[in-house]
Amino acid sequence: MPSRYSLGEFEEVVLLTVAVLNGDAYGVAIKGDIEHRLKRSVSVGAMRTALRRLEDKGFLESEFGEATAVRGGKRKRYHKVTPLGKKALDYVMNSRRKLWAAIPATAFQFK
Amino acid sequence: MRDYSNDIKPPQLPLKALRWFCDPELLEDIEGDLSELFRSRASKNIRLAKFLYARDVLQLFRPGIVKKIGRLNTVNSIDMLFNHIQTAIRQAGKHKGYTAINIAGLVVGLASCMLILLWVGDETSKDQFHEKSDRLYQVWRNLVQSNGDVQTVRGIPLPLEHVLRTQYPEVEAVTSYTWEMEYMFRLGEISSFEKGRFATGAFFDVFSYRLIVGDPKKVLVDGPTMVISDRMALKFFGNDWREKAIGQTIKLDDRTDYEVTGVFETPGDKSSVQFDWVISAKQFIDRQTWANSWYNGGFSIFFTLRPGADTEAVRKRIEQEVIRNTNKESNEPLYIQLFSENYLHGTFENGIPMGGRIQYVRILSAIAIFLLLLASINFVNLATARSSLRAREIGVRKVMGAQRSTLSQQFFTEATLYAIASTVVASAIGYLVLPYFNTLTGKSIHIRFSDPLVWLTLGGMILLTGMLSGAYPAFMLSSLSVAKSLKGRTKQVGSNYFRHALVTFQFAISIFLISGTFIISKQLSYILNKDIGLQRDKLVSIDLTGKLYDKKEVYMNSLRSIPEVKDVTLSSASPINFEESTGGANWPGKDPNMVIEINLLSVNENFVKTMGMKVVQGEDFSNVFLRDSARFLINEVLAGILGFDDPVGKELTVWGTTGTISGVVGNFHMASLYDPIAPLIIRYSRVDAGTAFVRINGNTHDALTSIERVTKDINPAFPFRYNFLDEDFARQYRGERSVSSLVNIFAGVSIFIACLGLLGLSSFSADQRAKEIGVRKVHGASVSSLVLLLSKQYAKLMIIAFFVATPLSYFYMQRWLGDFAYRIDMNITLFVVAGIVTFAIGALTVSYKSYSAALANPVKTLKEE
Repeated sequence: MPSRYSLGEFEEVVLLTVAVLNGDAYGVAIKGDIEHRLKRSVSVGAMRTALRRLEDKGFLESEFGEATAVRGGKRKRYHKVTPLGKKALDYVMNSRRKLWAAIPATAFQFK
Repeated sequence: MRDYSNDIKPPQLPLKALRWFCDPELLEDIEGDLSELFRSRASKNIRLAKFLYARDVLQLFRPGIVKKIGRLNTVNSIDMLFNHIQTAIRQAGKHKGYTAINIAGLVVGLASCMLILLWVGDETSKDQFHEKSDRLYQVWRNLVQSNGDVQTVRGIPLPLEHVLRTQYPEVEAVTSYTWEMEYMFRLGEISSFEKGRFATGAFFDVFSYRLIVGDPKKVLVDGPTMVISDRMALKFFGNDWREKAIGQTIKLDDRTDYEVTGVFETPGDKSSVQFDWVISAKQFIDRQTWANSWYNGGFSIFFTLRPGADTEAVRKRIEQEVIRNTNKESNEPLYIQLFSENYLHGTFENGIPMGGRIQYVRILSAIAIFLLLLASINFVNLATARSSLRAREIGVRKVMGAQRSTLSQQFFTEATLYAIASTVVASAIGYLVLPYFNTLTGKSIHIRFSDPLVWLTLGGMILLTGMLSGAYPAFMLSSLSVAKSLKGRTKQVGSNYFRHALVTFQFAISIFLISGTFIISKQLSYILNKDIGLQRDKLVSIDLTGKLYDKKEVYMNSLRSIPEVKDVTLSSASPINFEESTGGANWPGKDPNMVIEINLLSVNENFVKTMGMKVVQGEDFSNVFLRDSARFLINEVLAGILGFDDPVGKELTVWGTTGTISGVVGNFHMASLYDPIAPLIIRYSRVDAGTAFVRINGNTHDALTSIERVTKDINPAFPFRYNFLDEDFARQYRGERSVSSLVNIFAGVSIFIACLGLLGLSSFSADQRAKEIGVRKVHGASVSSLVLLLSKQYAKLMIIAFFVATPLSYFYMQRWLGDFAYRIDMNITLFVVAGIVTFAIGALTVSYKSYSAALANPVKTLKEE
């Protein structure tokens, strides 16, 4: 049932980053981590949409945290990978691994 | 240390936008993220941070973040729409008669409306295709007479062209052309008569007639060159004219050779000017001794201004050109008008455009709107009158929680459905009728379904009709109170007065249009049958082409020998349509300050007799001795201006020739009946006459056969061509006749629609009062008294309509008639007849239903209770 784990490339990056941040994953932190670690720029809009979609799919859950002055008194929303999310990540990684293993050695001989 | 973080605020506008569109569930978090980002960015560069904030907000405007639009997203409103459509269809099916009345009225109204719109569209697009039409001007010349009258003519002194080209920096290009001329062209075996104009240089630059072959800048050089239409090219050079035509020479009137330098696309319906050839005017001008004078005008002059030029400055300067160049001898201010406006605004009054065909466009547009209104009123009246039948449905819907807005939507949906169905049928009918409509109006309109404007117009009509007919029922029906509507029979919603007012309005419009029709057609038949001062029937004109001109004496004699020919004369132009005139006539005792433009006609002997004119004083040119010296005939108008008790024998100088007045002819109409009869001098000349007029006595067909034989004998190279003067005369009023027949038809349509509505209303009230009629009948009421009872309220409405419509119609028709110098008197009988016709048709409609209701057996109507 691969459709249960349908995961876009950017969604995968966001989901993995949430796991990397381990309990500290809120909007700006996720954006900053992706930009810092993967050297790709992330727009707030794209990230927001991805987070929402991941949550709709059940790969993420979230709860409000503390409010800070720097956020204009708004609370942070912390994200956490759900067991289903973990399964989805496993599934993606396994399918990649299988594909890599199946590539014959001669496939990448560029001449 | 100061904390700056509280001073620096995120930009307010993007924040407000975000709060407006963002899903509230996400808003707090996103806002927090954004302001956190903003703080960190702002510590480096505030301006950049603000910009990035705005950009982020913009990027957040995407599905998944934007809040859901509640009502559109609920399935319910779509379901309700389906429900409304279904209810409407059921209602329509349940009352087939009323549905038919509604649809029939709307279809007829919409179809008429569409045809009128097509006509209006065609009229308003005339001459608009020229690329530079927004700065393409025509020059007009105002001849100011001593008595203050102003005559506006298109003939302009030709030297103006040179002045415009050399002394006006604002002018981009100038061209001038002659009036329409017809010559015979010959190439080898092929010959035909073609109409066209002589034109100067920039013709194809100023106008946008498309050249298929040839360079617009070079086709009209000064040499003997001509440009022909593709239609003419096909005639002379066959199918491969594109290759063959250029460089060939075509002979004009078997006299002069012209080299073909280009081929243009035959001007289509979008052009008010039609021509099949354009010849470089150089040679023509050289032959015309009058042409290069500031005192004569024969050419029409057109020019384009440079983009952005000051039109008003040019207008002011051009105005004085003739006056300045003739040292104030000619008081002829010039006027410039956008060429594209001339077709619709071509009537000049006191030297400025005052309407023209535009008034027909306005009249018909108004009729189109009226017809749509009439049809919508039927819907409104029937829907509100029959509201009691739907009271229960409305009540139940309200109980189930329908809001007033939902109910309004329902009735709008219903009206719009009717509008859609009717528009579809009306389009089909309009499409089928279009060929007949074209024949009637002399147009060749076709609908281009690829044109988005067509669809936009159809959509607009649907919306408009839906709104017009749906608004009042939607408002009234949705206001029914729940308790009343469920309790049982409710009264009709909306006051009867309102419905009656609408019916009155319908009939007022019908009476208005019908009386208008009467007056227009009466005026036209008056014009077409008016005694114009000469007998125009059985009078044939033949242009003296080719050898006919040189051998005119022989030709006249052989024409006279034909038994069916009564008289023959020669003239310089047709007496009912010519524009030759002079401002230079002189006579002893003339007021030196008097400026007067006098028409001139050069004729042969027998003119007065052949034309069937009357000599009021003196004698005409029939007396042989009088021909030796210069002799003139003048018309009564001029005689009045000269002011002599007996003008016969008085001296007159025209075009440098002094002679005596030999007689006065009775007035006859020389131009259109829009204008009063102008002063006229008829001079005797054998040379200038170019047209033969033949009065036929006896069988026209035999006469024409003989005339053709005689003509061919003398002039075998030219095809025989002739015109009937009465047909020429009728042709001048073609526009009026086609508009008159349109108004005729649409007046009929309007009364048809009004009667449909009346039929619906009267049959409904007959149904409702079935029991009352039954009871009355049982008590001995007669059928006639019952019919009267049911009909009289409508009779009252029609009488009111008559009194509303008559003054309006009188006012507007007076204005229309005011344009004619010769017109009928409007008397009240015309209106009374229009009123009676409408009343009779309306009464028949009402009594048809009333009569069958009155005949019904009371047992049937009373048995249920």
